[in-house]
Amino acid sequence: MKDIARQSMSIKVESMDLLNAQIKMEAHASASYLAMASWCEQNGFFTSAKFFFKQSEEERGHMMKIFNFLVDTGGSPISPEVTNINHDYASIVDVFENTLEHEVKVTKSIHNIVRKSRELGDITTERFLDWFVMEQVEEENTIRDILDMIAITGTEGVGLQMIDNQVANWIE
Amino acid sequence: MVEIYRSKYYSLHQALGERAFYLDFGQKTIRMSLCQLLSLRHKVMSISLESHFDGALNKHGVEVLLLCNKEHLFILNTLEIIDLKNMVEHAFVALGLSAEREVLAV
Repeated sequence: MKDIARQSMSIKVESMDLLNAQIKMEAHASASYLAMASWCEQNGFFTSAKFFFKQSEEERGHMMKIFNFLVDTGGSPISPEVTNINHDYASIVDVFENTLEHEVKVTKSIHNIVRKSRELGDITTERFLDWFVMEQVEEENTIRDILDMIAITGTEGVGLQMIDNQVANWIE
Repeated sequence: MVEIYRSKYYSLHQALGERAFYLDFGQKTIRMSLCQLLSLRHKVMSISLESHFDGALNKHGVEVLLLCNKEHLFILNTLEIIDLKNMVEHAFVALGLSAEREVLAV
């Protein structure tokens, strides 16, 4: 029997479901970073705001990468609904700590999809996610470095201003 | 046409020459591309069965399904939805697009 379904789609539907969930997660991250940029602007951390505007764009880029992968493989990408974006932060340290928490969640989610696609024998999805695995190493490292810099600089006196200025080192 | 899967109320068929699928809803048969079948799967699997057992969430215990770019409209009750979910799961396994796993038959 001619396999119309396989001719039209080259990944498993379970992988497609997980990738659609990842699209939603990346969109949520993009919106959260935009909220963080807004907080930074309102509280005088202008360099950090630039950093988060850039991060927001990057997350959207990740989302589109997965979206286009689903298009290319004949899947059905779902445009995500994004809700529950937090706009309240206690301090700039709180902002970066939340960022790291978010990145760790994204890393765990990517690793989970890699494991599941391996179980399903979906080599295409597994290989596609290689780039994301390495990208997450870089993302987590960037935020950890910023938190280390904050710990060394301290938040007393002109510390906060120095922190904001130094964030420029992580804007490419 | 080749039958892919038949459940209590529904059956899915593959039309080789047309590169299309036909889903027989009993009172009506609809033609679908794989994209439309994937869209149906998304809609059906997104339905919360729990809401059917909570009068506040789903007062009448029915679901309205708009399929194939709003070309077809179906109103299904709880048993039909359970059967449709079952059919979709089994059909994707039969099509080789879903990893084989045990699916509870209704």
